[in-house]
Amino acid sequence: MQRTQALMIQIATGDSRSINKQITDAVRMKIATGELREGTQLPSVRGLAQQLTINPNTVAKAYAELTTEGWLESRAGVGLYVAPTRQRLSESERERRLDDAVQRFVHDVVALDYPASVLQQRVQLALRALGVRKSA
Amino acid sequence: MLDLIKAELLRFRVWAIAAALLHAATLGFFTRVVDPLQQPLFVYQVVASVYVVLGLLLGLHQIGGYRRPNTWLHLLHRPLPAARIALALATASGLLLTVVIALPLLLMLAMQAGFSARVVDTRHLWLPLAAGLLGCIGWLGGAYALLAPRRYSVLVFALPAVFLLGDASGIAAIGVQWLVLIWLLGLLVAAFKPDLSAPPRAGIAELATAVPVTLGIYLLALLASMGYQIIWIALGSHPLNSTPPAGGFIETSRMRGDALLQAGLLQSRDDSAEVWSEQVELSEVVSLIAEFDAFPKRDELTNPAPLEFDDDERRVRWIFSHDRMLFSGVNLADRKHAGVLGSGSAETPLLLPPLPLDGERVLTSNTLYAYDSELQQLNPRIALPPSETFAAPPAPLGAALLVLSDRALYFYDRRAFSERSDLQISRARLALPAPIGSLERIDLIELLDGHLVSLVYGRAGVDGPFDAWQTLWQLAADGSAHEIARRELKPDFPLALRHYGWWLSPALHSLRAQASQLFAQPDPMRAHEPVSRPVAIYTLAAALMLLALVVAIALSRRMPMSKAHQLVWCGACLIVGLPALLALWLLRPASGRAAAAGSA
Amino acid sequence: MSAVRTAVPTPVQAEAEWAIETRALSKRYGGKLALDALDLQIARGGIHAIVGANGAGKSTLFRVLLGFLPPTSGTAAILGCDSQRLKPSDRRRIGFVNEEHTLPGWMRVAALIAMQRRLYPLWSQAALDSVLGQFHVLPDQHVSELSRGERAGLNLALALAQRPDILVLDEPTLGLDVVAKRAFLEALMYSNEAAASTVIYCSHQMEEIERVADNLIILERGQLRNASAPDTFCARVSHWIAEFPFQPPPPANVPGLLQMQRLDGLNHYVVLDQSAEFAEFLRSAGARTVNCMAVSLDRAVNSFLAKNHAAPAAA
Repeated sequence: MQRTQALMIQIATGDSRSINKQITDAVRMKIATGELREGTQLPSVRGLAQQLTINPNTVAKAYAELTTEGWLESRAGVGLYVAPTRQRLSESERERRLDDAVQRFVHDVVALDYPASVLQQRVQLALRALGVRKSA
Repeated sequence: MLDLIKAELLRFRVWAIAAALLHAATLGFFTRVVDPLQQPLFVYQVVASVYVVLGLLLGLHQIGGYRRPNTWLHLLHRPLPAARIALALATASGLLLTVVIALPLLLMLAMQAGFSARVVDTRHLWLPLAAGLLGCIGWLGGAYALLAPRRYSVLVFALPAVFLLGDASGIAAIGVQWLVLIWLLGLLVAAFKPDLSAPPRAGIAELATAVPVTLGIYLLALLASMGYQIIWIALGSHPLNSTPPAGGFIETSRMRGDALLQAGLLQSRDDSAEVWSEQVELSEVVSLIAEFDAFPKRDELTNPAPLEFDDDERRVRWIFSHDRMLFSGVNLADRKHAGVLGSGSAETPLLLPPLPLDGERVLTSNTLYAYDSELQQLNPRIALPPSETFAAPPAPLGAALLVLSDRALYFYDRRAFSERSDLQISRARLALPAPIGSLERIDLIELLDGHLVSLVYGRAGVDGPFDAWQTLWQLAADGSAHEIARRELKPDFPLALRHYGWWLSPALHSLRAQASQLFAQPDPMRAHEPVSRPVAIYTLAAALMLLALVVAIALSRRMPMSKAHQLVWCGACLIVGLPALLALWLLRPASGRAAAAGSA
Repeated sequence: MSAVRTAVPTPVQAEAEWAIETRALSKRYGGKLALDALDLQIARGGIHAIVGANGAGKSTLFRVLLGFLPPTSGTAAILGCDSQRLKPSDRRRIGFVNEEHTLPGWMRVAALIAMQRRLYPLWSQAALDSVLGQFHVLPDQHVSELSRGERAGLNLALALAQRPDILVLDEPTLGLDVVAKRAFLEALMYSNEAAASTVIYCSHQMEEIERVADNLIILERGQLRNASAPDTFCARVSHWIAEFPFQPPPPANVPGLLQMQRLDGLNHYVVLDQSAEFAEFLRSAGARTVNCMAVSLDRAVNSFLAKNHAAPAAA
């Protein structure tokens, strides 16, 4: 059984970002960097509110926003969990961004005069470090 | 509600116990020095004022603390009707004041009755209750003054003051105090609401406030006439301060006796006038005025004067007891009981409570007793008919002893009176032609055959509305009397000023008179000639009442009142006059219906 | 053949009343208008913050709503009941906590709690204990012996324990130290009783408001200036920094201007309800560089309220 993992975020009043935005930004960042793994249970609305000393409604709104965007999923009666990463972009958009990224890389390394095999090896090493899937 | 009472009691418990002990100690000290139950009326009035002030201070302190906006909100914002909160506070304070004021007094009475030979009557047992009631009245007054709108809160005390300073005595006086207390409590409950600036909402609360306020305005207006008189004195033409007008009442009241008789004789058409005039020049003139204004009443709580006198030879102090209607003796040497004193040898109880005149004479309202020190008894010497009251102590004139009652002037044989010791019969009786309350002075001389008596009437007619005249009577030796002259005295003050109290508001004039007589026995010494009011005064009063009505209609139209409410106020302004108009302006009532319509 | 129509009765919605409703509410003190034709509607549920400078009319508003001051004109209703005619049963549903935390100083805490418990039939002793437990208050102490923070905690505990339908707090953390303030806010936000009732929180400390409010109501000089979620309000206000080599545009011409400052040769504009078109305006007025920032809630409210105050002359 998964226990609730503590959410290590801070909020600051008097910041130009609203508290709502600070929470959603922080949670998104933690999910994106892998600090919050898929399937981790988040603190309850009331628990997080009490931790941050803010209105529970604000936390509820932030969680709702994140759930709508797909970052979190709610399991009935149990709580909120980090949703499995899903691809949010369309197929054509994915292609376009990949093309852009490749073009940028190629243009950047052409002037360095490395052979293609060294470049490919480097790219593979870097992807392995991130733990990207090897197959389609 | 009980919680609130208990909380307030706990809050002041230390103060209450300390004050009660201090009060008891003070009473104890005074009972060592004097007899607290045999003091003149003035002392009781002062002490009563102290109790009222004590209650007032507690009320001001307690309610003053609650009056601040934040504490008022905390007190009244709770699921309890405001009336109950008010009653809770009043009850708690009533209990506190009972402990502080009434209990020490009861203790003092118990000590007096049990451990001294002094007289403690049943009537005295009402004193702690009266004192406690006065303290509570003071508390209610202070509380109300703080909570009611300042515009009119102080004026409300006019009616209670009139009641409390009225004539009721004994248990009737306690009844008056209860009435005042309940009235003030009702006013307080009506004023006790979250929004303190709002006028009383219920009709009866408004009425209960309006009547005293109107009376207060009236009394203030009466005081204003004093201000007018002060200006008059400053200008130097005030009749009482400078030369009084000739032929007027003031001049007559200041005349010497012989000049007065001469002035009367000038008006006489009797043949013997000249002869009498010569005799006035030669004879001794005696002047009498009505001196006694209060005799002790049966079972009254206080005394007009101490009901005791001392027998210096036998070292005995005689104190009168209303319960037994006898004098009770206290041996001055060892402070023990020393017998009783009654009428005659049988020590019969007296019919009415007496006023000791000096060490030798004791007077009830219709009987004069002489004190016989040897036989230790009171001998009745002069007895008036039961319906009459002494107006002055006996005065000698030649061979006669004059006794003035409220109905007649009696002539007794002076030598017989001083030589004998039994009941005397009067030799002659001159019935007074007008009520004693109007009598200013009597001057008389002894004639060869009878007496010549001048009576001047018009007391309270200086700046009051009463007529004044001098009348001259001859009393023959056989006892027959006839009037020989009458001289009308001119009023010294302007007509308007003399009738001021009446034309300002006839209704309030009589209300005030009735209020001071509430539950009281009519006082024979206050019987007056009826007032004759000239047509001009009636017209003036009527004109002012109409003026009040007209202005009231205009004023009430601008106030958010229902039609029926307006009608009642305009009717009141017509009947009562200008003071009611001012009360309307001060109270500025809002009709409940209009306010509800506004918020719908 | 005609069908007989019968009117279908609409169900009465007793719960749809506003928590607070004022219509054209005005209150005048002598020459000064403390409340100026105020039209305010606050729905039930949630925490509503009322913000305004001193003298904006907040305390006057509460006194009128609770029936302790008569309005000069207009109407005020709380929980659907006319404020001038609140009955004891209505007052039972309204809790009030003010900044003085007025409590009878001579009573013992236990006695005060007992008295309140008997007054309110819906009393929840559990709520009282859970709130009061966060403050160091002993039952035998006299209320006058408590520190200000402890008294505030006691006052809040008493108010919450009565389980009111609406709880009004008028600057309750004024003068409290940091620890007490935090304890107070936590007790307020996380008790079930507070969640079940409507909370009206009045303060001028934006740090608290930001944490606590669902709805931000701004009063200024007796008038309603804003009633929306704090984020929504904040999003309306933006901070622009422009460099004007020549004469900057006069303040009167700047649309939506709330505050203007000139610092280090740069013009700072805090504006309301302006989109990206404001950049166009600045450029057309002669700005060489234009930058835009979001503002904090504190700054947004301050600028909003400062608009009508005197501003120092442009440097």
